[in-house]
Amino acid sequence: MSKGRWPYLYILPMVAAILFAFGYPLVSVLRNSLYTGSIYELTYVGLGNFRALFGDDVFRTALGNNLKLLLTVPVMTVVALLLAVLIHEGVRGGRFYRAAIFFPYILPAVGTGLAFSVFLSLNGGLNGGLRALHLNGLALDWLGSPDLAIWSVSGMVVWQQLGFGVVVFLAALLSLPAETVEAARLDGASWWQLQTRVSLPQIRPTIEFFVVTEAITVLSWVFTYVYVLTGGGPGNASMVLEFYIWKEGFAQGAVGLANAAAVVVLALAAVLIAAYLVLRRRSLSSEGRS
Amino acid sequence: MSRLSLTARQVLLCLATVAALAPLVFMVLTSLKTSADYTVNPAGPPASITFDNYRRALTDLPTLRWMLNSLLVTTVSVAASTVVAVLGAYAISFGRFRGRQLLLGLNIGLIMVPPVVLLLPVFVIMVNLRLINTLPSVMLFYTGLLVPFAVFFLTSFFRSVPYDVIHAAQVDGAGPGRTLWSVILPLTRPALMTVGVVNAIWVWNELLISLVFLQGENQRTLMGGLSLSQGRYATDQPLVLAVATLSILPVAAFYALSQRSFVRGLTAGIGK
Amino acid sequence: MFTHRTALTAATVVSALLLSAACTAKPATTASDSGDDPESASLTYWYWAESDAPGANDWMKARIAEYTKQHPKVTVDLVPQPTDTLIGAFTTAAQTKSGPDIATQWATMPVLSQAWAGAVAPISDLVPATETANWLNTQENTYQGKLWGMPIYLMGIPLAYNKDLFAKAGLTNPPATWDELLSQCTALRKAGVTPFGMGNKDGFFGAWFFSIVGKQRWDSIDDLKQAMTGKTPFADPKVSGFYEALAQLKKQNCLNDDIASLTLDQGMQKFGAGQAAMAWGTDGLVSGWAKTLGTDKVGVAMTPKWGTGKLADTHNTTQSSTAFITSWSPHKRAAAQFLTWLHQPANLASWYEATSIFPADKRFDQGAIKSDMAKQIWEFDSRPGAVWPQNYLPPSVDSDGNGPAGQVITSGGAPAAAVEVWTKAIDKWRTQHPEELKKYTDWVAGS
Repeated sequence: MSKGRWPYLYILPMVAAILFAFGYPLVSVLRNSLYTGSIYELTYVGLGNFRALFGDDVFRTALGNNLKLLLTVPVMTVVALLLAVLIHEGVRGGRFYRAAIFFPYILPAVGTGLAFSVFLSLNGGLNGGLRALHLNGLALDWLGSPDLAIWSVSGMVVWQQLGFGVVVFLAALLSLPAETVEAARLDGASWWQLQTRVSLPQIRPTIEFFVVTEAITVLSWVFTYVYVLTGGGPGNASMVLEFYIWKEGFAQGAVGLANAAAVVVLALAAVLIAAYLVLRRRSLSSEGRS
Repeated sequence: MSRLSLTARQVLLCLATVAALAPLVFMVLTSLKTSADYTVNPAGPPASITFDNYRRALTDLPTLRWMLNSLLVTTVSVAASTVVAVLGAYAISFGRFRGRQLLLGLNIGLIMVPPVVLLLPVFVIMVNLRLINTLPSVMLFYTGLLVPFAVFFLTSFFRSVPYDVIHAAQVDGAGPGRTLWSVILPLTRPALMTVGVVNAIWVWNELLISLVFLQGENQRTLMGGLSLSQGRYATDQPLVLAVATLSILPVAAFYALSQRSFVRGLTAGIGK
Repeated sequence: MFTHRTALTAATVVSALLLSAACTAKPATTASDSGDDPESASLTYWYWAESDAPGANDWMKARIAEYTKQHPKVTVDLVPQPTDTLIGAFTTAAQTKSGPDIATQWATMPVLSQAWAGAVAPISDLVPATETANWLNTQENTYQGKLWGMPIYLMGIPLAYNKDLFAKAGLTNPPATWDELLSQCTALRKAGVTPFGMGNKDGFFGAWFFSIVGKQRWDSIDDLKQAMTGKTPFADPKVSGFYEALAQLKKQNCLNDDIASLTLDQGMQKFGAGQAAMAWGTDGLVSGWAKTLGTDKVGVAMTPKWGTGKLADTHNTTQSSTAFITSWSPHKRAAAQFLTWLHQPANLASWYEATSIFPADKRFDQGAIKSDMAKQIWEFDSRPGAVWPQNYLPPSVDSDGNGPAGQVITSGGAPAAAVEVWTKAIDKWRTQHPEELKKYTDWVAGS
C-alpha cells in the first residue's frame, strides 16, 4: 500500500488549499509592500512604505503596544501555573474551578468584549463595585485614560486566555509519573522545592509551547479586543498592529502602508514561528526516543 | 499550617473563578434591564427583570439571519477543511514520498501565521472572483486557514494507529482509499471530532475577516453583525448585551456537549 | 483503481460543499443587461441618518414601502450604516466596485473624495436642474460645476440647556460668552449638577468641538483649507487655538467625568435623562429631549462666543449627510428617480414630522413649524454664512487628526499634544494620498 503514486493525489487538495490561503498571499504581501496606491493602481516605491511606516507615530504606538501586550505572557504563565498546581494537588471542587476558569477562553471575544466595554466604563460595573466597597481611589477611567487603555485591553486578554494555560498545564501535570514526586517528598523536599525542582522542570516543554503560542496571540490576534473595547483610542493610545492594518488598508485605502505593516507583523511572527518549530521538533524527537 | 494553606488555596481559586465569571454575570444582568433603568443605574442589579431586549434582539435585528449565516459558514469550512486535511494527513502518515516531513513541518509552521498578514491579498482575490460580500468568500478563506492545524493534529493521531491493523487490511487486499475509509477513520473518530470542535469554535468566534469581507446587512456573520450593533445601538446597551449573550449561548452549549474533545484538542495543540 | 475513486469522491465532496455554499449566496453584482429602466430595478441603499435624526430609519422604511407600491418592479434594499464605519465600509466597497447603488456619506470632503476616486456618478447628470434648484445647501457638494449628491435634511447643532438644573444653580440665561460659560460651570458644579453631558470615546465630541468652536477665529472656511494644503501651519493659534478653550472646559470640570469612556451618543443621552445641564445636540436630538424632559424645561441657544473671527457669529447649519449614486450602479436612472421622489412635498412633510429636522428643500411648508423651540431653531438654522468645518477635512485627516486630537484633551492631555496629532495627520495625508492632495489643492484654488 505504501507504494505507488497515490500520496501525490491525496495531498493535492491540501497543497492547493495552502497555496491559496498562505502561499500566494504571502508572496503578494511581500511584493506589494514595495508599492503604493490603491488596490488596482500600484506604483513602485521601494522601501518608501517602510520609511513612512516608521515615521508614523501611530504605527510606532501600535508596535509599542503589541510589545507591551507581550508582558501579559509571563503574568498569564505564572498565574496559570499556580492555579494549575493548586488544582492538581487536589482541592475540593477542582473540576468546577477548572471548568469555570477555562470557560471565558472559548467564548467569542466580540460578545464578551462588548460586556467588558460596558463593565469597564467610568460609571460601569467594575467601578460601581469598587465604589460600593469604598475603594473610590481604585475606580479609574479604565478605557478613557490614555495611560490605562492598553492595560485594560491586556487585562481582558489575560481574562480570556488564562484558562487555556490552566487547562494545558493541568493536563501536563496529570501526565507526570507520580513516583518522582513521591520520592522527592520522602526525601524531605519542601512544597516550593517540589514544584521548582521536580514538577515544573518536567512540564517545561508545555510551558515553552504556551509561552510561544501566547506571544503570537498577543502579537497578531488581538484585533477583536481593541476593536470592541477602545477602538484604538483615546488618541490612538491603544492602537495595535492589526487595528492599524485594518484602518489603513480598509478604512482609509492606504494599501501600501497596510502591506508594509503586515510585513512587519510577519517578521515578528516569523521569529516566534521558528521558536515554535524548534520546540515542536524537540518534542517529536523526544517522543520518538521514548 | 497546612490547614490554613488549604483555606488560602480555596480562597485563591474562588477569586479566580469570580474574576472569570463576574463579567459574564454582569452581561446577563445588564441585558435584563430596561434602557431607562440602565441610564439611571448602569452598575447595579436590575430594578426589575425584563426579557424585552431579547425579544427585540430577535425581531428588530437580523440576529437570527446572522446566526444562520454563522452556522452555515462554520459547517462548510469545518467540513471542507477536515476532508482536505484527512486526505493530506493520511498521505503524510502512510505514504512514501519525498518531502513529506517537510510538508508536515510546513503545516506546523503555518498554524502560527497571523491571518491579518494574509488579509489584503485574499481580499483582492475575492474581489477578482466576485465573491466579496458573499458567504463563500469567508468559507474559502477559513477552509484554507484551518487546514494546517487539522493536518498536524490528524497526522499525529494517524501515526498512532498500530501497524498490524494496517498490514492486516493490506493482506485483505484493501487499497489506500479503502484502508483510510474503513480502518483508519473509524479508529480515529475521536480525533476527527476534536478537530471539528476546535475549528468550529474558532470560525464561529472570528471577527476581522468577516468584518472586512462581508458588508451587506444580510450577509454578515453573527460576530460581524454584533460588533456593528455596538455603534448603532450605542444608547441602548442592554439591547446590545442581549445580542452579545445570544452570541455566546450556542458556544457555551456546544462546549458543554463536547468539553472533552475540546480540551484534548487544545492540549494536543500545545505539545503533549 | 479503488484508491483513485475514493480520492476523487472526496474531492467531489469538497467541491460540492463549496459549490452549495456558492449557490446560497446572492451574486455580487446585478447584471446590467436590461439597460437602465427606472421602473424596473433592484436598488441597494446604504443609509445613514438615525444618529443625526432619530426616527430617520423608520421614515425611510415607510417611504420605500410606499415607493415600491407605486413602482411594483422596483425594490429598494435599505442597509442602515453605523456611524463609526460609515467611511471605512464604503471605501472598502468602492475598491471592489461592487457596493450599493445609492450610498450615504457626510457632505463635502467625504463625498468629494469618493467622487475624485471615481466612485460617484454626478446627480446633476441624472436629475434636471429645475428639480435640483429646489434643493438647499447644494454648494456643499458642488465641484467643477456638477452636483455630486442629494441633501435630504438641513440641521444645526444648537446648545441645549436644562432650565430646571440651571435654576438649581441660580442661573436663568444660557451662556453667551466663553467666560460666562466657565463661571456657569462652576456654579452648576457647586449645586451638584454636571454641566455638560457629552461623549468622546469615538472621538466625535472632539470633532464637533472643532467644528462648533474651532471656526470662531476664522473669517472664512478658506482659513482651514489653507492649513490643509500647508499654506498655514496648523499650529498657528488662529487655526488650532480652540484646544485651549477645550482644555479649559476639561480643567474647570465643565464636562461629565465619564466623557472619555462614553461615545457621543451615550454622553448626550445624559442630557436627555436629566443628568446634565447642557449638551450640544442636533436639531432632532434637542427636539427629542424636549419631548422627554418637557418642552418648558429645555432651552436652546447659539454656541457661546469664544473667538472674534467672522465665522464666530455664524451657526453651523449643514445637510450633514448626502445621498449619492455610485459610478458602478447599473440602475442610475432608477436610483435618481427614487431619490428625487423623496423630495416630493408630502415626503418632506412626513420627514419633518418624523424627525423634527427641517428638510433640505425650498418647497418645505414652513407653516408646519409650530412650537416656539422649533421656531427658534429655524431662526438659527436660517442665519447666513453657516458652515460645518469638519466636512472640509480630508477623511483621513478627520480620522487620524480630528478625532484622536480631541481625545487627547478630554483625557486630560495638553493642547500642544493635540496640535501635534493634527500636524502629523496632515503630513501623513499629504504623503500617502498625493492624488487627493492634488485635487484638493485645485479645489481650494478654484473656490
